[in-house]
Amino acid sequence: MSSRIPPLLEPYLALPPEASLILLTSVLGASSNWLVLRFLHTALINPDASSERQGENEAKVVLVSFMRDIAFWKENAKRLGLDLDKFASKKRFAFVDGLTRLFLPRVPGGRVVESVLSGPDLADVSLEIQRSIQSLKEAVGEEKIVLIIDQLDLMLAAGGDKIRAVNIGEMLIGLQEEVHSTILSLSADYPLVSASQSPLEKDHAALVLNIAHGADFTMSLRLLDTGTARDISGVLRITVGANIERTVQDIRKRIEEKEVLYFVGGDGGVKVFERGQ
Amino acid sequence: MASFRKRNVPLRSGTSALSESPTSIKQELAQGVRPSPLDGRLTTSTGTRSLDGLLAGHAGLALGTSLLVEESGTTDFGGSLLKYYASEGVVQGHHVHVLGMNEGWGRDLPGVVETSKSARKEGNSSGDGVHDRDTSRKSSDGGSGEKMKIAWRYERLGEFGSGSRDRNSSQSTGPSTSNSGAIFCHDFDLSKRLILPSPSLMYFVPSTSKPDFEFTDANNSASPFNTFLNHLITHLSASASNTVHRIIIPNLLSPALHTSELSRPESVLQFLHALRALLRKYSAQVTAMITLPLTLYPRSTGLTRWMELLSDGVLELAPFPSSAIATKSTPGASTIQEEPPQGMLKIHRLPIFHEKGGGGGEASGFGDDLAFTLSRRKGVVIKPFSLPPVEGDSEAQQGGLEHDHGKATKVDIEF
Repeated sequence: MSSRIPPLLEPYLALPPEASLILLTSVLGASSNWLVLRFLHTALINPDASSERQGENEAKVVLVSFMRDIAFWKENAKRLGLDLDKFASKKRFAFVDGLTRLFLPRVPGGRVVESVLSGPDLADVSLEIQRSIQSLKEAVGEEKIVLIIDQLDLMLAAGGDKIRAVNIGEMLIGLQEEVHSTILSLSADYPLVSASQSPLEKDHAALVLNIAHGADFTMSLRLLDTGTARDISGVLRITVGANIERTVQDIRKRIEEKEVLYFVGGDGGVKVFERGQ
Repeated sequence: MASFRKRNVPLRSGTSALSESPTSIKQELAQGVRPSPLDGRLTTSTGTRSLDGLLAGHAGLALGTSLLVEESGTTDFGGSLLKYYASEGVVQGHHVHVLGMNEGWGRDLPGVVETSKSARKEGNSSGDGVHDRDTSRKSSDGGSGEKMKIAWRYERLGEFGSGSRDRNSSQSTGPSTSNSGAIFCHDFDLSKRLILPSPSLMYFVPSTSKPDFEFTDANNSASPFNTFLNHLITHLSASASNTVHRIIIPNLLSPALHTSELSRPESVLQFLHALRALLRKYSAQVTAMITLPLTLYPRSTGLTRWMELLSDGVLELAPFPSSAIATKSTPGASTIQEEPPQGMLKIHRLPIFHEKGGGGGEASGFGDDLAFTLSRRKGVVIKPFSLPPVEGDSEAQQGGLEHDHGKATKVDIEF
């Protein structure tokens, strides 16, 4: 693997400033998993390895995943040279499992994972995530905690009538108060954000738009508009949010709007390049 | 976690670990399961050889993943795919769990073609599944043209295929390869009936237990989805860790099989999410295949999109209208042996491949124009779609463009 973090994306993937919100959107066929893994990598591993300034750019990460189990993240993080078990034992990484038991009754003989969401009740979900955040906070070391929530929109789609976009938004605000920075990945398929017919579609569109407006910047993945190519997996568009203008000046310097192409190799390595390169 | 270590072994065992590891893997592998030539994860066959070849270079459906087959219109090609998938499971001794159908469905499965099986077995004594293709290529010389087509399809897999062949042959030089000669994907004949073994490993979970005339609480555990999940949980937790299970859900949400109550988003999405959790939990044992009637649940709706997002692979079958098939056989059919395609196949998502980000897999077929044919003896054959040569253009016909579409006339092709 040539470079674990694509050079073009380095400014975006660096540890986000305080109280920031980053939105990753994906569509069917262009998943954001590789991007989430890169965020994990930059947050957990200090890019400039000078040990005296250690802790400056490092953070702890709470990863909440509603669509993928820990095995998937571990396997693919390992390809990036990231041993999640090691970070978990150092109390720098915590995983909240939103897949295994969210809608499944009890599965006998299941291993006891540190944190499992066991029902689609938003209060419980929020509590469980808070608990993981607290457990990392109590441990020694850097206070900065990055919260990554993978496909929170599942709660909206499958959670039933009680869970609306507003409730999710409220829960998010509560969680954002606890952490240094929040990274969300949501689906932004056309039928989910543009149709707005059924309650499911309306709520999804409301949630995505709401978060996109509040986000510092949005990284949206989509398939190539002109068909498929063997050496291109998709298009990554980076859009700067509205509220970045009036807040941190520093982030504005390094964030510029951009559209690039990316290719995820079979070994998990990612190439990011401009059009025509 | 043991499954992880196991998967990595074939990759390492190329040269150094040749003496001890290959035998140990081979013994552990259940029937009808082989490591992917790409990354060594375990795969099983869908029962349709050309579909196996499309799954992003894994040459089979990776265990722990699901496939959603969508179909528009009133045809049931997806149902045929399911039947081949079920038949393959029965033949390989896998446990097959079916939702919403009764035992009659199981009696209608296509049977194995005996002759080609024995011929295949003969030529196949040297290695496992990947060699399978080679033998099919060789043995097809005098046989039907269809096998030639399959071999030709696999030539696109060339690079990795040769690599894996090397790897496999180096493995098979090790002592006592226990599943040498095992067939990964059988040939089935739609006109034959599969004879089920007497203690059948097929389980049928009806979708409606009884008409619900009583005013009971509909959305508690009495829902057929929950019954099915409970059935799966009990079976999976009770069976040994080397048994392989196939989950089959025909016509999900079809009103003929399921009550309208189930098509509420929370109901079906929770079920699919739970199914995904099960697949991941037993990631070395279970695969699932689901068909969905697209006409009732179009792809432009958010609900369908969520069902797709919750599945690992998404295929869409778009059969040609029946009138097109009828007219198709008339022009130029006499000159070309090939059967006209019966519809188009679109790949929207592939297991593993797209979960990683989409790219790097060889010959995924993603984004290609693919067509499928269903015939009695050959089953479902998926191949790249191409327009036929222009009528009377004999050079092009000799040039080996073998696909007859027929719907496209001369006018369509002239640019």
